[in-house]
Order: sequence, then C-alpha cells, then structure tokens
Amino acid sequence: MNSLLRIRAVAAKEFWALARQPQLLALLLIGPVLIMVVFALSFDAGSYLPRAVIVVEEDSEGEDIFEQFRRQFTERTDFQGVMRSVDEADEMLRNDETDAVIIMPSEPSARVAESEQAVLEVHYNNINPIFGTTVPNRANGLILDLNRSIVREGIAQELQAIRPTQEQVEELNVQIEQVNETAESLSSDGARQTTADLDNALGNLETTLELLSLADDENEDIQNALEETRNSRELLGEVRDAQEEGADSVQEQAGTAELQSSLAELSEESAALPADVPAQVLVNPLRLVVDNLAPFEPDAAGFYAPSTLGLLIQHIALSLASLAIVRERLSGAYEYFEVSPLGAGELLIGKFITYLFLVVAVNMAVALALVSLLEISIQGSLGMLASVMAMLSATSIAAGFLLSAVSRSQLQAIQVSMLAFIGSGFFSGFLFPLEELDQPATGFSYLLPATYGIRALRDVMLRGQWPATFDLIGLAVYFLVCLVAARLLMGRKGAA
Amino acid sequence: MAVVEAKGLMKSFGGKSILRGVDIEVSEGEIFGLVGPSGAGKSTLMRTLTGYLKPTKGEVSVFGRDPFRFDAADRRLMSFMPQSFVLYDELSVRKNMNFTAGLYGLKLGRRRQRIREVLKFVELWEDRKKTASRLSGGMKRRLQLAAAIVHEPKLIFVDEPTANLDPILRRKFWDEFRLLSGMGRTIFVTTQYLGEAELCDRVGLLHNGRIIAAGTPEELRRKAFGGEMIELTLGGDPGHVGEHLAALEVVGRVVEVKEEVGENAASRTRLVVENADVALPKVFEVLRDADVRSADLIYPSFDEVFFRLVRGV
Repeated sequence: MNSLLRIRAVAAKEFWALARQPQLLALLLIGPVLIMVVFALSFDAGSYLPRAVIVVEEDSEGEDIFEQFRRQFTERTDFQGVMRSVDEADEMLRNDETDAVIIMPSEPSARVAESEQAVLEVHYNNINPIFGTTVPNRANGLILDLNRSIVREGIAQELQAIRPTQEQVEELNVQIEQVNETAESLSSDGARQTTADLDNALGNLETTLELLSLADDENEDIQNALEETRNSRELLGEVRDAQEEGADSVQEQAGTAELQSSLAELSEESAALPADVPAQVLVNPLRLVVDNLAPFEPDAAGFYAPSTLGLLIQHIALSLASLAIVRERLSGAYEYFEVSPLGAGELLIGKFITYLFLVVAVNMAVALALVSLLEISIQGSLGMLASVMAMLSATSIAAGFLLSAVSRSQLQAIQVSMLAFIGSGFFSGFLFPLEELDQPATGFSYLLPATYGIRALRDVMLRGQWPATFDLIGLAVYFLVCLVAARLLMGRKGAA
Repeated sequence: MAVVEAKGLMKSFGGKSILRGVDIEVSEGEIFGLVGPSGAGKSTLMRTLTGYLKPTKGEVSVFGRDPFRFDAADRRLMSFMPQSFVLYDELSVRKNMNFTAGLYGLKLGRRRQRIREVLKFVELWEDRKKTASRLSGGMKRRLQLAAAIVHEPKLIFVDEPTANLDPILRRKFWDEFRLLSGMGRTIFVTTQYLGEAELCDRVGLLHNGRIIAAGTPEELRRKAFGGEMIELTLGGDPGHVGEHLAALEVVGRVVEVKEEVGENAASRTRLVVENADVALPKVFEVLRDADVRSADLIYPSFDEVFFRLVRGV
C-alpha cells in the first residue's frame, strides 16, 4: 500500500512537472505530427515534372516535328526552351541547371525512308539508383505518345518514297484481271496460283493494316481499309472455293467482279495509307535512346553513404551546439563569463573551433570506415570531402548555437535537435529527392543545413566534383545568419 | 576613493520593482558587506553593479565607469564569485584554474605561478589533480574563490560565499577575505547571515530593495539603538529597580528591564548612552546606593540590529 502511495506520488509529480512545460509538450506532440502532415501534403512522386531543354537543328524537319508536337514535350516536362548545341545543353545538365536534354533527330524521314527508326536521344544526369528513373520513365512516355501522334497525323504519308499501298492494290487488280482472263479454265494450275498469290498479297496488306490499327485505333481511314481488305479476302476465298469445287464460270466471274468492285473501294481508301515500310518502323518511327551522363552510378549503399554522413554531421553538430549556451546559462557559468573579459563572440568562437574539429574528425573517420569496410567509393579527393564536411558542420553548429540561445532548457534544445533530425529524414533529400517534394515541404527543406550538405556531399563523393554554387552559398548564408542571430541573442540583458 | 558607487539605482523585472532607489558607496580596500534576508534584492544589486544587468533607472559606476559598458580591460580589474559552483565538474582543479586564468588573459608562465599561489592560498594545491566532481562542497567554493582571485583583481564581487557551509568553513572564508583585503583588494560580499556583517569593514542593510542603513558595524548598531548599550545587573529585590530608573534616564535611555526572581534575584537593565566611556562613571554615580553586580558594554547581535532598523523603517 505504501509502495502504491509512493508510486502515485512520483507519477503525480511527473505529470505536473510536464504539465508546467506547455511549450515542451507542444513540441513533443505537434512536431512529429506537423512533419507527417507537411510530408503528406507535399510528396507526390507522380507529379514531378523534370526540367528539360530540347536540342534541335534550326529549320530542320526535326524542328518542324517538335513545333507540330510541342504540347507532348511541354506537358511532360518543365520545359525550359530550345537549344542548338548538345554540348551546351549537356553542360547545363552537369551544372544541375536542367534535368533532361532531349535531342530531336534532324531528318527523321530520311531514316524512315531507309527502313530505320529515327533516334530521339535523351540525356540526363542522375546518380540515384532508387528514385533516379523519372527522366527515363518520362522519356518512354514521350516517345510512345510521339509515335502515336505522328502516325495519327499521317506524318508517314510524307515519307512516301517506297512502294505505296496503292501499288499493292494495283497489283491485286492486275491479278484479278488475270483471274478474269483465265476464267474459262479457272481450275487450271495457273489460275489457282494466281488466286493464291492474290490471297497472299491481301493477307500481307491485312497484317500491315492490323498493326497500324493497333498503333492508332482511332484512325477511321485505317479501320475502313482494314474492313475492305477483309471483305476482299472473303470474296477471294469464295473464288478459291469455287476453283476447288469446279463451279461454273458464270458464278466464278460474278465472284471476281464483286471482288474487283471491292478492291476498287480499297484502292480509293488506301490512297491515304502510310508507305509500305517495315511494321516496326511504320508504327514507331522514333526510337528512344536514353543516356545517363552521371560519371558514376553507385549501388544503393554507395548512394546513401553521403546522405547518411550529411545527416550524421548535422545531428552531431546541432545536438552539441544546441546545449552549448543553454547549459552555461542554466549552470550560472554564463553570468560568470559576462562579468569576465570574455565576450559573447569569443565564447561562441571558442566553442565553435572545438566542435568543428570534433565533428569533422569524427565524420572523416566514419567516411574512411565506410570506404574500408563497405567498399564505398569516394570520387572526390579527401581534401574536398573534408572541406564540404567542415562547411556543413560549421552551418549546423551555428544553427545549434541559435537554438541554444533561444532554448529555455536543455530538454527543449535536445527535443528540437531530434525534430530536426527526423524532419531531415523526410525533407532534406535523404530519403526522397527534393524535386519530388512540393510546398510546404520545400520551404522546410531549405531551413535544414542537411539539405544543402547532402547535395554537396553527393557531388563530392559520387560525382567527384565541387558542390553547386547554390549549395555552397546556401551553407555560407545559413552559417552567417545563424551565427549573427545567436550572437545578438546572447548580448547582455537590458533593462526590463 | 569610491570604487563602487550607485545613486538612485532602480531595477524592475516585468513591472515588478526589485531595487527601489539604492544609494551605495564602496571605498578602495574595504570589505563591504551587503546584508539582507532572502529576496531582499542582494543578487540583483550585485548583478547590476557587475554590469550583468542594466539598471532600469539611476546611476552605477565602478572604477568611475558604467560597468554595463565595460570593455575587456575594465573587466580584468574585477572578478565575480557566484553563489553556486559554475566551473566544470568533469575538469580537474588545475584545468579549471587554467581555464579561468585564460579568460582573464594570464600568459602561460605567469599563469602557472599564480595558479600555484592561489591554490595554496585556498589550500587546494594538494588536490590540484582531482576532478572537481570529487571535491566536497566547501572545496568547490574554495576553488571558485581561487578562480576569482587568480588574476589579482582590484575588486572582487562575492555572492553568498558562505551559504550552507558549516561555521568553521565560514570563518575560514572570512579569514581569507580579510587577507585579501590586507593585500589591498576591495571586496563586495553579500550574505544572508546577519552575524557576518560584524566581519565587514562597512555594511549595507538591504530590505525590500532599499538600503535602510549603511556604515561600519558599530555605526549600524549605534543607529539601531541610538548609541552604545550598557547592560547593568542589579542585585536585591527586583521591585526596587524602578527607584533608579529616573536617575538612569538622566544618563541615558533605558530600553529594557528584565527581572530575575528567586534565590539570586536580580534585574538586568539595558541603557543606551551616547558614549559608554563617558557615561559609565555617571551610571555608577547615580547607582551608588544600589547593589551593582556588573556593568558591561554590550554588542547586540546583528539580528537584533537588523530587526530594529527594519522596524524603524
């Protein structure tokens, strides 16, 4: 019984102690919920439109096709414009100024005329083995749509340089004439061979039309031609049956007359049909070739190594620094420092130097462990890696100082550090590409040092290049803003 | 020369007045005790004098300058010993001292010498390698004191240095303050132990944010009682004391009469006089017919002094 009373006393004390900290409770409850709500509102993997530029030769047939089907390009991409140089466009890709370079073939007709598909080339630059398929997927959708549209619009008609269907029909007419002329001896071997050839020709035509129909099931011309061809084959079948059964020539002539009439209609309707090129070329005049310009395509572990390091750096630095000022303030040391010659700036710099050294050293050790134990490859130099780690560490420490300057207790500081850690998992590009996040998550993203840091570390570790200027400037500005704000908040207490 | 001076000093927090017009003056080389009960505003006054807090109203000067605008060189002239231990438990005694000496800009050679001197002064030299977490409460206070004097400041602010210490340690601290004072240091010390006022050169009594009296301990007593106090013990029937009161009132002011009955019946009478040396012969003169067993100059406790001064307010 006494034990119950003691437990009750402790429980009541804990309850009231927590209830007296509404800010902490709000942080505990609202923080994680807010993160999930923002994520749910902002993440839609299907809605992301990659930035794209089109490279096409000026005044070429390719440019005409692009202009004719411009909507197909602009609907699937965040269209940035038309360029003339592949090299310049690829440079944009390497500088992360665009996500895709679509290179239109200059003379697609010429390739099709040679019974070959014209090549639509798409370049992209992505090292993400999990979420890096957006551009290839979009490109596939684009090529399907383009091919369908080209067929639908009858562009193949302009490619007539080879044997037209019209000719095929005319040949059929000749064969029918031959059938008529030999009507009296329809059962002869020659007559049978002719009708067999005719049936074969009609069969080929039917197959071609069926393929066209599959590619473009809304084209009435193709549907009508297919129907006529099938009718003609049926009639021819009757003629061939008559040959087999030895029916009299009147019936046979009537049959061929009807067949001739049917072929006349077919001839008329097939005038608008595509050229007789291989079905694959006819249905898909454009072929997609996708090329990833990324210098290195890591596996999942390799890809997530820089992200993990980025998150680790932010978390260690933020946690350490978030306690730096609040702990001194609560212990009374801060007042002691205020009365001493030690300035607030000197206090910050002194702490900063130690934390920076510690965080960079620890994370360099982790990076080297990843290299030696997990065989993770680092494309950039160690100096480059240390520099980027130092920048991210510095920014996270400055953010921690600011957090520490506004925190009322160590628990509050740690709580916010943990929320930043969880939030970074969702919004910094650690798990999901930033491009696939929308507002309001994007706003949160740029409040996290890890957002800049992870991208910068990926550039160094996976691409072997210096980080993008945007990320370096982002880290520098973030660092300065946080440090200055922390310093201002740490100023001497004024008159109340 | 006044090292610390405050005029009409006021400090409020969120509209609540903590200091309500404090006037104070501390001279060079003296131990100035700021005495008052908990919540009187002692710590706030000290924080304002050190420049940690900016006054809401009034003027403060330390070494002739506003401490809120002190630069690093000005701050080297003084130090502050907080009430609680604010150094680092995880560091050794010597490392804590090194840290503090560094804050005050002591160069390495001088630093080592001073650390040895002050640790010996506070009797912690033998414990210099111990981590602070292994020190007792009293040792931590002494370490904090060593940290406050390592750079040889001219002025030392000490906040409640003896709170919760046993009487022997308390005495030791005051001995060390006296030694420091002998070296020419000015010490501004707060204490809630009214009896410690006795050990100061000058005392300020703070009550409800106001200095209700300031001066030497003797001056405060005189102010509290209106002069020096003589306690007379008269034998015989206590009922006869009244016969002498009129005569005693001519010499001084009778403030208290206590009667003791029984076999050794006596009465104790307290008489406040302007000057005991002058008054005592007169007292014996007017009591020549009485059975005077003793006549002593007494020093009432500071609790009593404080009580009287507060009641006077």
